[in-house]
Amino acid sequence: MKINMQMTTGQKALMRKDFAEVWKTPMLRNTLLALPAILMVVMPVMFLLVAYFAPMEQMNGMDEILALLPEKAQNLNERQMMFYTMTTMMAPMFFLMIPLMSSTVTASSSFVGEKERGTIETLLLTPMTVRQIFRAKVEMCVRLSLLVTGISLVLFAITALVGNVILEMPFWFDWSWVVLVVLLAPALTVFGVVFMVLVSGRSKSYMEAMQTSGYVVLPIILLFIGQFTGLFVLGAVVLLVVAAVVILLDAFLFRMASGLFTAEKLLKK
Amino acid sequence: MAAIEAKGLTKSYDKTLALKSLTLEVPEGGVCGFLGPNGAGKTTAVKLFNGLLTPTGGECSVMGFHPEKEPEKVHAVSGVMTETARMYGQLTGLENLCFFGETAGMSRGDARQRAGELLRWLDLWEARDRKASAYSTGMMQRLSLARALVHRPRVLFLDEPTSGLDPESAQMVNNLITDLAKQEGTTVFLCTHQLRYAQDICTLYGLIDKGTLLACGGFEELWKQAGCRIWAGFRLKDGVHPEGGFEQKDGWWRLAVNSEEEMPEILRALVQQNLDIYEARLFHPELEEVYFRFLQTVETAGEEGGGKGEN
Repeated sequence: MKINMQMTTGQKALMRKDFAEVWKTPMLRNTLLALPAILMVVMPVMFLLVAYFAPMEQMNGMDEILALLPEKAQNLNERQMMFYTMTTMMAPMFFLMIPLMSSTVTASSSFVGEKERGTIETLLLTPMTVRQIFRAKVEMCVRLSLLVTGISLVLFAITALVGNVILEMPFWFDWSWVVLVVLLAPALTVFGVVFMVLVSGRSKSYMEAMQTSGYVVLPIILLFIGQFTGLFVLGAVVLLVVAAVVILLDAFLFRMASGLFTAEKLLKK
Repeated sequence: MAAIEAKGLTKSYDKTLALKSLTLEVPEGGVCGFLGPNGAGKTTAVKLFNGLLTPTGGECSVMGFHPEKEPEKVHAVSGVMTETARMYGQLTGLENLCFFGETAGMSRGDARQRAGELLRWLDLWEARDRKASAYSTGMMQRLSLARALVHRPRVLFLDEPTSGLDPESAQMVNNLITDLAKQEGTTVFLCTHQLRYAQDICTLYGLIDKGTLLACGGFEELWKQAGCRIWAGFRLKDGVHPEGGFEQKDGWWRLAVNSEEEMPEILRALVQQNLDIYEARLFHPELEEVYFRFLQTVETAGEEGGGKGEN
């Protein structure tokens, strides 16, 4: 099968138009701006403040948390331990919510919104193939979501670095974060978009579609919260396996979604 | 080559037959009026011709391209305006047209130039920077028409282009359609239930009801097929009865003729009878009359068929 990687003038115009639509919708724009700010700056800063100012002698459960941490973290003091827990167990969860949520938010406007506003028919009447439309839309959602994820990472890197310096502890970035940034975040971005394409047929409005997207965040929360039971730790290897599963799922769902993206199915009310 | 062709084109949704074995040929440069009431199957036909729907039977082509197999090629040569194909409300009129120009492969500069031409032509230039969501119904219809024309299509599909328009705007759209066909040789497939407008601009007619094509052809062919006549009509002084097989209807004495060539002779005969003639005119069949005759014929046939079935 020959794949043309070059974007046509029409596809570029469609990507620009979709981006402008997302940006001009206050609710979508604010969500995309608030996500990195709240999850990657406000939350870590709050943790840092607690770790720095809280009276450690009054904190309960520190021994239990210590038991969950890997060997390399065993020699950290209580304040450092608190911040370490945040950068290795909490922040990855927040971080992964960003590609997933930003991609579903973007895709809900790009796919469901187009249907809701009755413009999908107009778009399907252009001399672009349905596949070209699908690819341009998916690519815009993925690119925008990756941009938001990238900005989130930079914001978190700065916040965490400040925390590391203040608490005089080792640098936060490790192999787990490499897997998160390089594999899992892009894989979840694609998953979010494809998931939204699949639910777009059932959603009547992009608001409804966005609500549905809340369900896809749940497994991530459960996965990371599960670590606190002490049953497992999400190290680099485990995350690598999770990433591989998501990538496989992406490939399968992408084929399914592109098969469903036909004029007649899209116009079905 | 026919610009638009359908052979046994059929579409059904579950158990509903929306279009039943449509066979039609529209030559290049013609204006084909596809006429029928709401729900007759007109929009379904347009969507099938443009690959938005897949036929359940038969086939069709537009400028030789098959919409089912290569819809993008059909869209490259055709412009489509339907009631359900909306414009982007958040974009301005100009931005909308530029966007659709680019989706047709035009450069940004070319798209902008073409958009400007169309906005001026359709009297929307003053509103070019206003968001489309703020346009009135008439302006939106014209903007949709501009969108359908942005890539200079050779075939134009218009589904109820004048619905919701005031008479002045409707007249403007009709003039545009006529100009396009005459000056640029664009083939127009016009779906409408407004028969009076259609009669002014169409060169070919397809009459459809409940998914079935009742008749197709030029106007003269259709009215003859429907059994309509041209009438020579005369308004005479009250109480006067002309000789020569005249019948009276709505204050006119009238006589069926085969062509208007017979009119001078009839008039001379009446003058020779020394009658006071206030007014003389030819009554040509109206599209509305032709359409309802066909409809009546089908209904009568249906009732007879039903009656026989019951017996």
